[in-house]
Amino acid sequence: MPISDLIQLMREKAEAVQAVVVKIKTLKEAFQYTLDLTRRQGGTSMVAMGLQNQELNLLEEACKTADINFLKPPLRLHANDIHTALTAVDWGIAETGTLVLDSSSEDVRIATMLSETHVALLPVSKIRPDVTVLENEINAVLKSDDSTYYAFITGASRTADIERVLAIGVHGPQELHILMMEGNRE
Amino acid sequence: MIKTAQDIKSYKKQLKEALCDQFLRTALDNFNTAYRENRSAVYEGIDFEGIKKEIAAGKDAALPKLLELFEKFKAHAEAAGVKVHTAKDAKQANEIIAAIAKENNVKKIIKSKSMTAEETFLNDHLEKEGYRVTETDLGEWIIQLRKEGPSHMVMPAIHLSRYQVGDLFEKVTREKQDSESIDKLVKVARKTLRPAYLEADMGISGANFAIAESGALGLVTNEGNMRLVTTLPKVHVALVGYDKLIPDLKTMLKILKVLPRNATGQAITSYVTWIKGAVECSASPSNRKIIHVVFLDNGRLTLAEDPVFAEALRCIRCGACANVCPVYSKVGGHKYGHVYIGAIGLILTLFYHGRENDRAIVKNCINCQACKEVCPVDIDLPHLIKKTYRAVLDQDGKTPVKNILLSKVMKNRKLFHFILRHAYLVQKPLAKNEPMIRHLPHFFEKEHGFRSLPMITKTPFRDQWKTIRPHVVRPKYTIAFFAGCAVDFIYPEQAAALLNVLQKYDVQVEFPMNQTCCGLPALMAAEEDTAKEVALQNMKAFKPENYDYILTLCASCASHLKHNYLKIFTGDADVPANLKLFTDKIIDFSSFIVNVLNVSSEGFKATKKKVAYHSPCHLCRGMQVTNEPRKLIELAGYDYVKSKDEDVCCGFGGSYSIDFPEISAEILKKKLDNVEAADAGILVTDCPGCVLQLRGGMDKRGGKIQVKHIVEILAENKIRNIPG
Repeated sequence: MPISDLIQLMREKAEAVQAVVVKIKTLKEAFQYTLDLTRRQGGTSMVAMGLQNQELNLLEEACKTADINFLKPPLRLHANDIHTALTAVDWGIAETGTLVLDSSSEDVRIATMLSETHVALLPVSKIRPDVTVLENEINAVLKSDDSTYYAFITGASRTADIERVLAIGVHGPQELHILMMEGNRE
Repeated sequence: MIKTAQDIKSYKKQLKEALCDQFLRTALDNFNTAYRENRSAVYEGIDFEGIKKEIAAGKDAALPKLLELFEKFKAHAEAAGVKVHTAKDAKQANEIIAAIAKENNVKKIIKSKSMTAEETFLNDHLEKEGYRVTETDLGEWIIQLRKEGPSHMVMPAIHLSRYQVGDLFEKVTREKQDSESIDKLVKVARKTLRPAYLEADMGISGANFAIAESGALGLVTNEGNMRLVTTLPKVHVALVGYDKLIPDLKTMLKILKVLPRNATGQAITSYVTWIKGAVECSASPSNRKIIHVVFLDNGRLTLAEDPVFAEALRCIRCGACANVCPVYSKVGGHKYGHVYIGAIGLILTLFYHGRENDRAIVKNCINCQACKEVCPVDIDLPHLIKKTYRAVLDQDGKTPVKNILLSKVMKNRKLFHFILRHAYLVQKPLAKNEPMIRHLPHFFEKEHGFRSLPMITKTPFRDQWKTIRPHVVRPKYTIAFFAGCAVDFIYPEQAAALLNVLQKYDVQVEFPMNQTCCGLPALMAAEEDTAKEVALQNMKAFKPENYDYILTLCASCASHLKHNYLKIFTGDADVPANLKLFTDKIIDFSSFIVNVLNVSSEGFKATKKKVAYHSPCHLCRGMQVTNEPRKLIELAGYDYVKSKDEDVCCGFGGSYSIDFPEISAEILKKKLDNVEAADAGILVTDCPGCVLQLRGGMDKRGGKIQVKHIVEILAENKIRNIPG
């Protein structure tokens, strides 16, 4: 499948489960989007997972300027305070609009589970057409001797437990934003 | 607390109460329709039939080696820091988990949804031991607060309205709630439960999969609570049935294609999670999660070896068998299961919770086959329900009088037909010169009066045969006609219409006089020996090698003769020699006319009469015949008008409508409402049983729509001389 079709399918399927999908070009743009979103929602804090030190420094600076509290691990100490979590994810699965994220780090889990809004950073080069293509990758993780907590995330948390009416945002994040990044992290 | 009726009398009382719950009825009725619509959309482009056969084969291959899979899982999981336990029964599982709590100085426990924990009544045990247990799945939390069991395996609180939930949340939070807004109610759970995750020392989950080759658990969820339950507390305990063991990731991914689609109409759930080993956890002194997996036997390992019932262990708990069940949609899960709900619940209850809890509910299957069709792992649920009923009767050691009489009469064709002939005389005064019996005498309970009843005919078809037997000079086909009791003794005019139609197409019809009831009523009463005896009599009466087909106008007879005959002789030492030949020749009326005779519209007058269609359960699901009757209506010159839920049961189900008349009446009511909304003058179907139910109901409600067998509208509209 050509990459443009993959991106389009990923977008359609993710939007079908109420994710917000945005195309971005640079990491800087991703930071800006996340800060703007946090402010717009009245949030005052954010965390970031899966970024390199240099990138984290840049983000921290940007947070200062935007007057957003940049929370640092261990995140258990901030369990009740995380508004936005920006996380780089491992893969995207276009067929279902799914994000794949190795969540073995407790901080990654807390960020993606306890935040109000989850912003996922997905390089378009990491989008795969369907889950069967990733079978070997997932198996490599599961079959290694290490312990692991491996997650597929598709849309925000949801329930239909009351009268079968769909409600978004139960115990997990209330919104999921996917930033599809073309090109490298510049 | 769960109070499942242990005898039929108290069960019927409970059913009456459930039928009066207007919210429940409307909610579940809407769900039944909406679910089927959503489901077909989400399966678009997916080979459901292919995948389900694959999964079933995979599960069947895994069942004989569950212990082998367990050992593999254990080795991998323990290498990654898990402590693996085995529990032979519910009590032992609960004790193991309580001991883990004690050992880790646990006070508060949070739980995510687990049917296996419901099965063992784990919460009751832990609470007795002094632990505070909080359910976190929204539906589970609601029913925990109400001290109820789940009424659905996927949506445990589906029986409640937003107002009931709002009132409950007001009590819990001591704050006014806006019950109109479901969104706001959901946020109450979010806000109220958040601290519970952080305060708890132990989280308990179930698992959808235990993957042997890696020692990882697989969990499929939507709300995000399971992720919190397995992340925040220092201890995680997963309670897992042995049946959740699968060999590899490939198997899980295959099942993942059908589980969310069948369960909730989603292509995938919000979260799919793999957990292996002791992952990082800063709440634990070692900074590693204290993780235990408890495998529950509770009868599973014995069940896995059972030649008949092992199939039930394929179940992946999608809940779809309840979603499509017309009975569930009338009475709800609290009256249609014990812990496990729906068709699979009627089966598993016997094995996991004993015959006392299954004794009454297991009778409440109308055998419409909707569950079998929707099951993503190809469990023959209606068949197993009857097998379960038999097992309950055997364990109880009592045979109901009805069964004794039925067996005695059915095994003896002459006696059976003698009784039917004399029924004509008995019923005559009841009809009071009207064409149908509209008022039952007082010794019948009033709930049987929901439909007018047809008269047993004065001259059954078998007595007319000699005089009306047609002679075709140069027959293109020779068929044997299997009349079935309803056509023979109630509606011989349907058989006459058949002869009339077939003669014009040069089909020679034979009617073997020694044929008797197909035997389905015996099988429905779990009297398999009687069903076999009757089958043997029929196979003796017919000489299949002499006919091109054996044709019947009754969908139930057809699917019983074709499929159940093979099933009931499975595993027998002396299978009747002509069994395969006999079953291969069975055909229904519409398929014969459309596919064999290839009739064209030329033989029929074009009329503008609008015709609605009811698709009999045993034709569309039993015989997999769906297009032919609809095509035939059009071919015969009528205007086919679609109506809602055409393939949903009419509520007849043979003796079901006598055993559970109030439920039958409600299913019928919805069917007739849908038909009346369709603007048709005639309703046709291709089963005399459905005709009996639909015509009786239509007459009783004073409806204007005529109910006919499809053969009748063909005969009525046929041009005398067929061109060519």
